[in-house]
Amino acid sequence: MKRNYCVSLLVLSGVFILITGCAPFVENNRIEEIAPVIFWSIDQGEEGRLSICTLVPPLVKEKKRLLTQNVHLLKEGGKLFNLIYYRELKLGQLRMLLVNEEVAKQGLNSLINTLFIDPEVSPRLYLVIIKGDFEAYIQNQLDKQPNLDYFLYRMFKHYEEKHQGEMSIVNLHTFMKNLHTPLSVPFLPVFKAGKESFTYEGTAFFRHDAMIATASGIDDQIMQLLSNDHYLRLLPIPSLSVTVGHIRSKVRIKLADSSAAVNVELYGRVEEYRGDKDILDHAEATELNDQIQTYLEKHTLELLQKMQRWKVDPLEIGRHTMTPFTKPMSDEAWLEKWQQLKFDVNYDIDIQPFVEKK
Amino acid sequence: MNNHEMLSTGQTPISIDALERMLSNMTDAEIIDRHYNKDQKVTLLYIETLINPERLNESVIEPLNRGLHDSIYDAISSTKVSEISTMEEAEVALMRGCVILHDPSQSQWWSVLIESSLSRAIESSETETILYGPKDSFSEQLEQNITMIRRRLPLTTLKAERFTVGSTSKTPVVMMYIEGLTNPEFVDTARSKIIEIDFDLFLDSSHLAAFMEDHTHSVFPQYQQTDRPDTCAYALDIGKLTILVGNTPFALIAPITFFHLFQSPEDYINRWLVASFLRIIRYLSFFLSLILIPLYVALSTHHYQMIPMQILFVLLESRSKLPFSPFWEALLMLITLEIIKEASLRMPSKSGQTLGVIGGIVIGEATVSAGFSSTVLIVLVGISAIASFLVPNYLVTKSNTLIQFGFLVLSSFLGLLGIVLGIIGVLAHLNSLTSLKQPYFAPLAPFYWRGWMDVFIRGPLKYMKSRPEYLHPLQRWRYGRRR
Repeated sequence: MKRNYCVSLLVLSGVFILITGCAPFVENNRIEEIAPVIFWSIDQGEEGRLSICTLVPPLVKEKKRLLTQNVHLLKEGGKLFNLIYYRELKLGQLRMLLVNEEVAKQGLNSLINTLFIDPEVSPRLYLVIIKGDFEAYIQNQLDKQPNLDYFLYRMFKHYEEKHQGEMSIVNLHTFMKNLHTPLSVPFLPVFKAGKESFTYEGTAFFRHDAMIATASGIDDQIMQLLSNDHYLRLLPIPSLSVTVGHIRSKVRIKLADSSAAVNVELYGRVEEYRGDKDILDHAEATELNDQIQTYLEKHTLELLQKMQRWKVDPLEIGRHTMTPFTKPMSDEAWLEKWQQLKFDVNYDIDIQPFVEKK
Repeated sequence: MNNHEMLSTGQTPISIDALERMLSNMTDAEIIDRHYNKDQKVTLLYIETLINPERLNESVIEPLNRGLHDSIYDAISSTKVSEISTMEEAEVALMRGCVILHDPSQSQWWSVLIESSLSRAIESSETETILYGPKDSFSEQLEQNITMIRRRLPLTTLKAERFTVGSTSKTPVVMMYIEGLTNPEFVDTARSKIIEIDFDLFLDSSHLAAFMEDHTHSVFPQYQQTDRPDTCAYALDIGKLTILVGNTPFALIAPITFFHLFQSPEDYINRWLVASFLRIIRYLSFFLSLILIPLYVALSTHHYQMIPMQILFVLLESRSKLPFSPFWEALLMLITLEIIKEASLRMPSKSGQTLGVIGGIVIGEATVSAGFSSTVLIVLVGISAIASFLVPNYLVTKSNTLIQFGFLVLSSFLGLLGIVLGIIGVLAHLNSLTSLKQPYFAPLAPFYWRGWMDVFIRGPLKYMKSRPEYLHPLQRWRYGRRR
């Protein structure tokens, strides 16, 4: 009886281990013996190879150094890192994948898939496109900011959690979802790396897995308003000497056969004004409102026309073609139609001056 | 009972020679001859350390000296007089604190109970302290303890059955229950368990519990030990029974469930929302004290991926130069903590502060600066130790430590899976336990949905209209009008 009990207990324990997908042979993950990598930077290497670099040791107050490898395969780089460093580098805490613009233009599918199928790598992995030499930037910052990798991660996390409209922060899961959703366009943030600076540049749009173009400056701001966050903390318009803040938008799109009407309701308040108008005067405030409206309409139309040329639809206007009982339009058919569309952009702006008029 | 009947039952007839032989070499035994009404001789036998000399004078000596009555029985001014006829009865009587009187003219033997009331004063409980509510607690005096319960439950239906356990200790045991309310099945089971006990020495109620419990090898107590009369009165009122043991202030309450161990008398004094919050905190603390350290070992040994990066930053920094693996580090610290805890119990109270300084500051600080332990673990051990003390029952706190060690080993080998398996094991074990043959994990398993009001939360008293269903009380409603 007791023997049967022990046997059933062993069998049950075995079943518990197997059905949960846990391997009975685990790797040595003792945290003091490993180096959990936070980021990988991937650049175009020599002879069609990939140049992978990372910072070691991550998260520990020790002298940092940059490890770089020229490899054919992503995981090959991971293996070679282990051979030249005294702690085993582990990918379980990989939080950022910084891909150079040139590599992104060739397509990210193989790189992303490698990480996506790795059970150790979390889908909360920030994907970032880099313009310039990130390696040089990190190398230059080693002594100035030893925990730069950690601070970069905190920055991405900060802007991801509350959609504030400053940056298009995208993680692996969102990117993959956009990539495999019909009539949807994946996009990623673009940062420009110089020797001394690391600056947000704009939003990169992808056709399938290859980067097509970047929207920067006012285009990126309009992109945040119309699609990504529907909110902008601040929108400076230097040509009108005004900064509008706390802008929220409601976008209504009406799609006809050969045209699309984009109606945007905008709510915000003037945060700063350095122009000649007396914005406490109703007539002059209305005039400023009209100028902002015209400015936004003009730039929105220009952005949409650029998107038509790039053959990307990040506003997902194509989804308006879907009806309950008809077959959805294919991506190719939609893009064909997308390029022919005539846009009618209308803004309905309600911007409060910062001082209430009595 | 005549001599012939005694021989047939194996009992020895009482005689002065046999009593003298029995009391030989006992310095505190006294055999005194007195004269009553000048011509009648009376022999008094007693053990002076067990009797009250003043009451002996008042109840026996002085009435005999006055000689106003015809018989000795009439002369003794005590209600606790009984006639005895066998040596066995005489031995029991002498050891209980009786004086034995022999009237040679009538060939009669009498025992008069004038026991010494040697006892400490009624003090407040040290093991189950509360801020508000009754402060009295049991003492070693059995009769006094019964009085404290009877004053709270002045009912003739409150029965007190007396037993004697222990072949050498002859410990008196009193089982109390409310007739017509407590399920008779519990009473019969407890009675038969007490009667079946065959052992020599019972110095505490826990010894009795060890012989009465259904599962000897479990770490969980199956009888609630308390020295609070209000806890006993509440238990009796909801349909449980209470067993009082002589010479110990701790009574046993049964049947109990796992959840009773988390209830404090103060729960019924605080506002119900506050009491519920405190009770939930107790459960959380119990869980936390079980898994906090094993979780640290599991995460830092196997699942570094699951640690939030901000915490990983701290953890990597504090563990980077340690000589021990997380398991050995945790084991070392937990054993050290147990040593400190055990020492603080055994040391005289005046040395307690010194121990606190040595344990808390010197060992805590020194292990970190010497590089034996990480600061994170020290913090976790501290939280875990404090959390374990939130459970009102001290015996659970002790079993908690043992389970924690088990979880520690499991987490070291299997990581989080080990902890989950451990929790499943503990829950399965709790589910299999019984207290006085009643399910230990009720009202969750078996499920009694009406019991929710006094399990994880403590509902408003006026809504707790019925007694717990899992105790199968004969009177379900607590309100008189609805019975």
